[in-house]
Amino acid sequence: MTPMRQIRSILIHAFVLALVVTLLMPLLYMLTMSFRTATEIAAQPLGLPDRLAWENYTQAFTSMNYLRSVANSVGITVSVTMLTAMLGSMAAFPLARNSSRVARGLIMLVALGLATPNFVTITPIFVIFRELQLLDTYLGIILAFTALNLPLAIFFYVGFIAAIPKDLIEAAKLDHCSDWQIFWHVIRPLLGPATATLSLFVMLMVWNDFTYPLLLLTDKDKFTVTISVYRFVGNQNIQPDMLFPAAVLGSLPLLILFAIFQRRIVAGVTAGAVK
Amino acid sequence: MSKRSFLLFTLPALIVLGVFFVYPIVLTLQLSLTNSTGVGEADFTGWRNYERIISRDRYPAALWVTLKFTFIVVTFQTIAGLFLAALLHRLPAIRSFCRAALFTPAMMSFVVVGYVWQFIYSPFSGGLNAVLRGAGMDGLARGWLGDPETALYAIAIAHIWMFVGYTTAIFLAGYANIPNDIEEAGRLDGASSWQRFRHLEIPLLAPSFTINIMLSTIGTLKTFELPFIMTRGGPDGATRTLSLEIINQLFGNYRFGFASSLSIIMLIIVVAVAVAQNWYLRSRENVQ
Repeated sequence: MTPMRQIRSILIHAFVLALVVTLLMPLLYMLTMSFRTATEIAAQPLGLPDRLAWENYTQAFTSMNYLRSVANSVGITVSVTMLTAMLGSMAAFPLARNSSRVARGLIMLVALGLATPNFVTITPIFVIFRELQLLDTYLGIILAFTALNLPLAIFFYVGFIAAIPKDLIEAAKLDHCSDWQIFWHVIRPLLGPATATLSLFVMLMVWNDFTYPLLLLTDKDKFTVTISVYRFVGNQNIQPDMLFPAAVLGSLPLLILFAIFQRRIVAGVTAGAVK
Repeated sequence: MSKRSFLLFTLPALIVLGVFFVYPIVLTLQLSLTNSTGVGEADFTGWRNYERIISRDRYPAALWVTLKFTFIVVTFQTIAGLFLAALLHRLPAIRSFCRAALFTPAMMSFVVVGYVWQFIYSPFSGGLNAVLRGAGMDGLARGWLGDPETALYAIAIAHIWMFVGYTTAIFLAGYANIPNDIEEAGRLDGASSWQRFRHLEIPLLAPSFTINIMLSTIGTLKTFELPFIMTRGGPDGATRTLSLEIINQLFGNYRFGFASSLSIIMLIIVVAVAVAQNWYLRSRENVQ
């Protein structure tokens, strides 16, 4: 490479890196602001903290009921992910192997489910939950999220199972395996990569969702992280020394996960969208 | 496979979908023809809710806000994502680092993103006005979310910021599918970087355009979180989207019947837009 081109290449790399850092400014802003006191911010809206105001964090940590809400989010997210993967792969198995009119009708229904925004069903879900006494329960919110994600899961698994060679299944049939045994011992182990990708999708969606927990949960002890950030900060008169530590704490679990698995998460979510 | 195992495999999913998806849609249709308030008996009112939606300025205005917001977000997010992907495609050394960095905001919730940007936009101690004043552009400083002229654009920028990394990652996946020899041939023919981008890459990225545009359109048409958190639909309805209106009618006014009619209209619009886009974008893929 000529020196001229080398300089050009360095400049281009520097420019793109600067651009990316600029785009991440709101994140750095959130982090530095979380260590500043309200008086500091009022006097000087931009700038580094004079000293690290850890009391912002202790205040947010206790008032948000942080550990409890993280536990709630983890519990709900893990349950929904497992339930969605299990029910989705089970339903996809016969749908992928069967082209009867019933099977095609069900796939149409699933496609409709993919396009339906949750706002279309939120009113009746609220009514049904009240009838079934599922309002403000873990079970209710888990079922609602599962129903919301099932169409995607079924669609995803149908594509995956249809690509599994027929011979594998025929061989298992010759060995007198029941349909369930075929599913459990032949199909399910092959679905690992599909389940990993799908789970990332569902996990992100459920963990960060705002609408369902906002409308379906009222008990403070059942709040997810998103809702406890929302309630703690409040809508009137936002206090920066409350807002920023709560925002950092609220994003921390997923950001840690992302820091560890970033390659796999980006690739998985992208592949899932492309499929 | 026997009928019996077909049923056994699909039954658990069918029960969950039946109770929490199919039945709710039927119930929405039914509620939309009543004046239900969620409690007690409701009267059948026929098309009255729908007539009301069409005849009042408020609801077509919310639809207009929704469509405008979607158009802004989809257009600029796609262009920005394409631009970033085209740059990163040419810089393999920093590609995966930058892709992950740009993706980070998508890992955060609407609540956090909404609050942080709300503060960035706030009139006195907000970051944006501080930057503008620091740069000597005091005249531009304003309450970005309090001004009907700028509020919707301000929210759109927060939304684009959150998801542009997603769009970039999908375009980069599209780039990875372009065969090396095609790019190589372009280079050997002496095509400049821009010519390759314009005449080779853009046509070959057609499937990524389809995915990106459809995903962001469906995601944005139903948007509710950012306007709900940042402006509550204000000022003066400038950011009141259809979904926000549904939630307001439902949990602000307890007008379950009316909210259901709005939901049905929303469903029709989302499905119509998705079908039209799918048809147009796929046919565009085939031509090339």
